[in-house]
Amino acid sequence: MSNKLVLGAGAVAAVLIIGLAVILFVVAGSGGSSGTPAATSSGATPASTVSGTPAAGDLRVRASDPLFLDPAVAQDADSAGYIVEIFSGLVRLDKNLKIQPDLAERWDLSPDGKTYTFHLNPKAAFQDGRPVTAGDVKYSWERALNPDTASVTAENFLGDIVGAKDVANGTTKQLSGVKVIDDQTLQVAIDAPKSYFLYKLTYPNAFVVDQKQIAANPRRWTLKPNGTGPYMLKEWKLGDRLVLQANEHFYLGAPKLKTVTFLLSGGSSLTTYQDGGIDVTGVGLADLASVQDPSSPLNKQYHKADNAAIDYIGFNTNAPPFDDPKVRQAFAMAVDRKKIASVVLHGAIPAATGIIPPGVPGYTPDDKTLPYDPAKAKQLLGQSKYAGKMPQITLAETGAGGSIADATQAIVQGWKQNLGVDVKVQQADAATFFQDIDQGKYQMFHLGWIMDYPDPEDILDVLFYSKSRQNSSHYNNPQVDAKLLQARTEADPNKRIALYQDIEKMLIQDAPWMPLFFETSYYLVKPYVSGYELPPMVIEHYRNVTVNHP
Amino acid sequence: MDGLAGYVVRRLLFLPVVLLVVSFGTFFITRWGPGDPISIYSGQYRDPEAFARVRHTYGLDKPIIVQYGIWLKDIALHGDFGVSFRYRDRTIPEIIGPKIWVSVRLGAYAFILTFLLGIPIGIYAAVKQGTWLDPFLISVFLFFQSIPVLVTVPVLVILLAVKVHWVPPGGFDGIFSRSMIIPTLALGLPGVAGVARLARATTLGALHEDFVRTARAKGLDEFTVITRHVARNAVAPVMTTVIGLSLVGLIEGALITETLLGIPGIGEYTFQSVNAKDYNVILVIVLLITFAFVLANLLVDLVLVAIDPRARLAGGGGP
Repeated sequence: MSNKLVLGAGAVAAVLIIGLAVILFVVAGSGGSSGTPAATSSGATPASTVSGTPAAGDLRVRASDPLFLDPAVAQDADSAGYIVEIFSGLVRLDKNLKIQPDLAERWDLSPDGKTYTFHLNPKAAFQDGRPVTAGDVKYSWERALNPDTASVTAENFLGDIVGAKDVANGTTKQLSGVKVIDDQTLQVAIDAPKSYFLYKLTYPNAFVVDQKQIAANPRRWTLKPNGTGPYMLKEWKLGDRLVLQANEHFYLGAPKLKTVTFLLSGGSSLTTYQDGGIDVTGVGLADLASVQDPSSPLNKQYHKADNAAIDYIGFNTNAPPFDDPKVRQAFAMAVDRKKIASVVLHGAIPAATGIIPPGVPGYTPDDKTLPYDPAKAKQLLGQSKYAGKMPQITLAETGAGGSIADATQAIVQGWKQNLGVDVKVQQADAATFFQDIDQGKYQMFHLGWIMDYPDPEDILDVLFYSKSRQNSSHYNNPQVDAKLLQARTEADPNKRIALYQDIEKMLIQDAPWMPLFFETSYYLVKPYVSGYELPPMVIEHYRNVTVNHP
Repeated sequence: MDGLAGYVVRRLLFLPVVLLVVSFGTFFITRWGPGDPISIYSGQYRDPEAFARVRHTYGLDKPIIVQYGIWLKDIALHGDFGVSFRYRDRTIPEIIGPKIWVSVRLGAYAFILTFLLGIPIGIYAAVKQGTWLDPFLISVFLFFQSIPVLVTVPVLVILLAVKVHWVPPGGFDGIFSRSMIIPTLALGLPGVAGVARLARATTLGALHEDFVRTARAKGLDEFTVITRHVARNAVAPVMTTVIGLSLVGLIEGALITETLLGIPGIGEYTFQSVNAKDYNVILVIVLLITFAFVLANLLVDLVLVAIDPRARLAGGGGP
């Protein structure tokens, strides 16, 4: 047929395709890294693109949607990250993880260590201006514990208060251990002199919420919460963006940073950062080498932060062969964790030096773990009651798709090479994994623990006390139990920490765990952002950031 | 057209039965397995007593058949499809509505791409019937049709994002952005061959019609004959048939494409909801997809009847 037709059809297609491209590219507005000065008014609603013009005083980060903005039910780091900015509690942690006044400007402790009297900051107010009273605190705690609120964790953090159990069980709605003395004064009785009680109050579950707002709108108040924190929720479009706006009347001083924009859609954070779409980003292990390269322009923008968190392999001390401590010790000594840290993890994630993670009192940088000693490990295995009749062993971890992390592969390889034991790796979805751990179905499992408050009790007691509900290794050692009980109420802080360090040593020797790595974060911050520091735990940290776009 | 109207009504009456059966199956399958939304979102906190209390608050401790009854009752009486265990402060339509809208627009892009490429290629192949270009062009796009999106997406990411940095490797920067290019290609290209083949077939048919001969006889040049007379008659049936048929492929493709690329559409959210065992959301999504399939099937059947009167209307039976 005619050549004209070829040209014609081609032209039509080309025009239409170009049209589509025009829709995609041009309508998208200014793309990319041109870094236009921030001359636009910040009042204008930003276009739904991450590479829009940055506004002065606005920090843009990539994040995930919070599951909950109700402090009483939040228990995940994503949710807590927003809640600590929007709400607040009686006390807070500073960036060195020390207790600081917050809604309470000071407090007294009775001589027996069991009664706290909190004096509220007279300036403390909700974001709508209503002053925070002692009654608000009492209400918030009673609500958090009430079974109708459906909080899985409130009892973990408020359970030391006298009468908390009865509220949690639904027997009563009144928290008997909490007395409102007057609007500014709150008396709290706890069941034993536990010095870590104040730490627990820094967790969102103990934060203050607005009774009036919740009564008026019980199911949907979190879409526009009236908090007490330095930031107000301005906008939250699920899966798209969440914007926090400074609470100019914040009782500890108006935030310097006016807005924080969280971009909630997925995708490569590092690429968006390089395109100028966000101002800070985390760096994954895969990208770390290129960022650390001194010739990379990103090198000067890169920072490192320890997380108060540990990665470990837990042994089920009830299940063969790990009911024999010799087998546990042999397994722990047969793996060269330091080598795995330096080779497989490129030195980015350090081998754990013990059980207590960095940032938590009692942590020391010297290595207390069982040493890598293949000969000794083999010998221990030979002395164990499973010598020569080792059952089939499976290591469980969460995950799917059969791609097993390099570090896990290296660990399994260590056992095969040094002990001659073949360990199968079984991956399970989170639901199955946790249920099977609780039911003691796994022989060993790979898991992590993120500290909720910086006290060794939150890891040693919560995970190794024989009667603890979260004792995943089903560990039961009367000597350890006795010391844990003693440490709970030890009044002398130094003696108390020393007790926990003793317990840590006993645990390492008896090896219900094989500590693997201390978790570390790497992140990039644009040079025009100052005062941004990633804290080791989830604590409020945007207030003092300043952003001056070039 | 009383017979046709009756047929449509009968098919639509069957819809509630289909939805009921599907909802029953989905309800049981999702709630049967290990774990529940409470234990999943609780992550490192595992307090069996607290779990039991929260399960009780949500009625998850009741026998599944009783829960199903309550679920049906709430829909019938209050139009309430239940709570999402992930975003408890929003209703399910509020949660999935914006995500469906993202997917619908992505799907529209893919459709546009499919037709913009498929129809001209089909017409051109028909015109070139008998030369090597005809089988060659169709084969090229059959190749794209044969590759699963699970493969197409990573390959496109490597080619367009990693090698040449034309587009971001994933994510979603709004519906009018470069991040829509890879998903549009991944979802649109597989359909091209189908459209092209249909367009080729209808064009071949039209080429031998009397009005084409008349047009040629009038002395019109070949380009005008094809574009004015042939294409117009060839395109309409292709559009209607393929829209119905590709809906199925688009929903499947969206699930994988959106999840791989981190696009906050309904496909990605389905994946998330299944992982989180967000029972009620999974149910609503499955029911919506069922609904769409039934309607699409009905539409295709009707169009086929309209195109080819020989196709008989199945009496009253299933979709």
